Amino acid sequence: MTSAIIDASAVTLALGKPPARVEILRRIDISIDRGDTVALLGPSGSGKSSLMSVLSGLERADSGRVLVDGLDFGTLDEDALAAARRGRIGIILQAFHLLPTMTAIENVAVPLELAGAADAMERARAELTAVGLAHRLDHYPAQLSGGEQQRVAIARAIAPRPALLFADEPTGNLDAATGEAIMDLLFARQGDTGTTLLVITHDPALAARCARVVEMRDGAIVTDRRAA
Amino acid sequence: MNTAWRLALRDMRGGLKGLRLLIVCLFLGVAGLAGVGSLASAITAELDGRGREILGGDIEMRVAQREADGQERAAFAAYGRTSESIRLRAMASRQDASASVLAELKSVDTLWPLYGRFTTQAGALTPRPTGLDAIVAPALAERLPLRVGDRIRVGETSLRVAGLIDQEPDRVGEGFAFGPTILLSREALDATRLLQPGSLFTARYRIRLDQDQDVRALSERLDSRYRQTNWEVSDRSNAARGLRRFVDQLGQFLTLVGLTALIVAGIGVGNGVASWLDQRRSSIATLKIVGASSSLIVRLYLLQVAMVSLAAVIAGLAIGAAVPAIVGWVAGDALPVAPKIAVYPVPLAISAAYGLLAALLFSLAPLSRAGRVSPAEIFRARIEPFGLPGRRVLALMIGAGASIAAIAVATARQPALSAGFLAGALALFVALWAVGRLVRLVARTLPRSRNTLVRLAIGNLYRPAAQTDRLVVALGLGLTLFAMMAIIQSNLTHQIEKTVPQTAPNFFALDIGTDELDRFRSTVDRQSPGAKIVTVPSLRGTVTTVRGTPVTELKPLPKGAWILNGDRGLTYAATLPEGNEIVAGRWWPADYAGPPLVSIDEQAAKALDLKPGDRLGFSILGVDMEAEIASIRRINWERMGFNFGIVFAPGALEGAPHSYMATIALPDAREPAVSRAVVSGFPAVSLIRVKDVAGQIGEIFGQLATAIRAAAAVTLAAGIAVLIGAIAASRRARLYDAVLLKLLGGSRAQILLAQAIEYALLAAIIALLALAAGSAAGWYVVTRIFELAWAPDWVLVGVTLVVGAVGTLGIGLAGSLPVLNARPAQALRSL
Repeated sequence: MTSAIIDASAVTLALGKPPARVEILRRIDISIDRGDTVALLGPSGSGKSSLMSVLSGLERADSGRVLVDGLDFGTLDEDALAAARRGRIGIILQAFHLLPTMTAIENVAVPLELAGAADAMERARAELTAVGLAHRLDHYPAQLSGGEQQRVAIARAIAPRPALLFADEPTGNLDAATGEAIMDLLFARQGDTGTTLLVITHDPALAARCARVVEMRDGAIVTDRRAA
Repeated sequence: MNTAWRLALRDMRGGLKGLRLLIVCLFLGVAGLAGVGSLASAITAELDGRGREILGGDIEMRVAQREADGQERAAFAAYGRTSESIRLRAMASRQDASASVLAELKSVDTLWPLYGRFTTQAGALTPRPTGLDAIVAPALAERLPLRVGDRIRVGETSLRVAGLIDQEPDRVGEGFAFGPTILLSREALDATRLLQPGSLFTARYRIRLDQDQDVRALSERLDSRYRQTNWEVSDRSNAARGLRRFVDQLGQFLTLVGLTALIVAGIGVGNGVASWLDQRRSSIATLKIVGASSSLIVRLYLLQVAMVSLAAVIAGLAIGAAVPAIVGWVAGDALPVAPKIAVYPVPLAISAAYGLLAALLFSLAPLSRAGRVSPAEIFRARIEPFGLPGRRVLALMIGAGASIAAIAVATARQPALSAGFLAGALALFVALWAVGRLVRLVARTLPRSRNTLVRLAIGNLYRPAAQTDRLVVALGLGLTLFAMMAIIQSNLTHQIEKTVPQTAPNFFALDIGTDELDRFRSTVDRQSPGAKIVTVPSLRGTVTTVRGTPVTELKPLPKGAWILNGDRGLTYAATLPEGNEIVAGRWWPADYAGPPLVSIDEQAAKALDLKPGDRLGFSILGVDMEAEIASIRRINWERMGFNFGIVFAPGALEGAPHSYMATIALPDAREPAVSRAVVSGFPAVSLIRVKDVAGQIGEIFGQLATAIRAAAAVTLAAGIAVLIGAIAASRRARLYDAVLLKLLGGSRAQILLAQAIEYALLAAIIALLALAAGSAAGWYVVTRIFELAWAPDWVLVGVTLVVGAVGTLGIGLAGSLPVLNARPAQALRSL
């Protein structure tokens, strides 16, 4: 078995209908090793989020091959993709995207419940305790600060112990100090669980914390380097 | 608890605000249906529960123009105690003849009533009619007017009014009455001398059975035994048959109108669910990101819709179940019987099924769209392209719609009518939807106006997420019903008002004795020289055989074969009656003298496939005879005059005891004098003023129209709820427009004007559509069902539509007011 958890080749994606059709991803080739930490850098509109959507199975590529953890995403329909994400892929978003009608512990428990875990609540409690929110278990998202909400989102993404963790601008909505603390937490949890981490960011300092930095422009990868 | 349930319960913590439209629409629709159904059941239950009181016995034997002979009396008495009652029309006048009223005389014996209790109002001089003491209906005392203790003249005697009727238990069972009741003893009835051979009276023999037995079977036995001798039989299980049928049919029609309301409400349900799910797009995408499947999403939101729908349906049922009590309390006097207060599970269950199926039908499409929300929406906003739901969902929707139609048709007494109504409503629904889409298309392709406000208003009709098509359907259906009602009602009113004065006489006179005819003519002529008096002989008889086959063997009677129903009015004539036209065969010569011939009505002939040359058997005053059909006539029933379905040739009936009827046409001013002269000079003659009858018919139709309009109002209310929901759904987009216009220097008046133009356009389109569809439906009902001339009152129709359209405009603008007051800075922060 290869050590690559992601192996994508010649991936293209276009949105809209002709003549307004826009090519977002132009024949991307990328392979990511298990346990690696990768930063995806690039200006707005360069295709970072779209690449993440395709690699996480949120969106299907128009052409090319996407192999994730041995599964060929091109052959799966939307529900099979959802099932493939369950327990395998965790996603952290810039705008947190917590479910507003659920408490912190319930938000963290949802992916475990969807995967059929009987001890979903216990594991969610443990995960929230690990991100320092043991005192906020029964709070609703609206009752939490931005930093706390993002910690809940991290706990939710990590709780099922995914092999792959995607983070889209995880500090984009936070002030510098809180952002720093969140990144510390994210890398600490990544270290604890050994998951593969792909972070999308504009922030060179954040990118510098990753072992590998991939830079995109106009839907294509322009540089791909490993930290010294 | 499974995952979908758990997630659904958690999601509901967000409150049900987004589902308010669903709740209101479903509640309105179900409450309307459950109300109509419960009321009809309550009236029928009252008729059932009080069947023996209403009938006046377990079995009623009824015969016209004669009394039972000794043998028949003895036969009835063998079954149990038998009470005799005779009913006939007669004029009652004040002792000084200064006022007179057509009344219903009813003689009762000491056994009456066999069931129920007869009571008089306080102050009666005797508890029951005895000797020459009569107890009269309060309406008679009011109209003459007189007080207890005063005397009235009836026929050739004078009666003392000994009290006023409070409760007459068998009143409803005796059917339509021309006037207030006068209860009197047999002795008093004989004293009036109104019971003469040939006079029109009905003798009733009510039997209280000695032993409990199957009354239906007994009544069928009695029917086959006594039918030949003109007897009609009723039993306690079918008392007040006409009223029962009327309640049934009206209930049925109102249910169909209610179903239309539910369909309109369904659009609100669909819109409500769609906008509620729209607010949850981000949550749906998030759930999908963490691994929820489409089917889980659909289940999770379907569960919530189901729970909320169930609550709305239960609330609707609660109100609907209370309708009989509310109507009984508010309009008890206007109803023929007080509704029996109880909970009626059948109409409630049917209404609940309608409500839940409608909720399913209209929420499936938005629910399935929610299932298809892409998790990638988290990254970029997307407008879902309009598309048909998937095949499975479509099949479910068709299933739900078909179930609604199946219930409506299966529970209908006239399934064809219900199916026709539903097909019409569906066609209208589809047509309105198509027009709505067309309006969007036309608005899009119109050349851009130079006026910004007009451009904005037209743009709002076709912008993405514009609800133009749904609004056209929802408001269009409601307004169409109103337009149709206005057209039908104005046609009927018009018919009554315009036709009556032109062609109708002023009076109908009944029961003119053969020997009184000349004196009658001269009396009227003296009071009103030149008055037009038309007289026809009148007697009653039963058709007993058709082409040699006894009518008793023809059950069930073919539809339209009304001449076979019980005893009918008969006449004889030498010349073809005015307003009649021969469609087959030939009219007999004026001096015909030969074997009996008859001419019959075209409709009945068609129903029985009768042709000239066929033979009919009759029983007239106990005498059997056969007659050959000489001709078939088309009768103009709209003409007010004497229209007989069966007319004999001269020679056959002259020998039988009979009386005459007359129509009298004269100047209106002479009415009081003629009335006084006839009433005092001819005690046995009943005089009916045509204007009073027309007024009565108008009043009955007015009450019907009110009931139908109430049901149509529920449809319009549902339509308005849809409109309010649509305004709420587009609030964000409108707020954005308003704020931008304000930023660019637009005044509040200008913004309001833009919205007014939009709603005025919409209202005008809907009103025109309602006019077209309502006229088409109204035309069908008026010309094809009622078979009346097409003469709608366009002013009334126009006013109805303008009021409806202006109401729409007003509600639309009222809904826009909060948008006007938005502060730009605040609004921009929250947008």
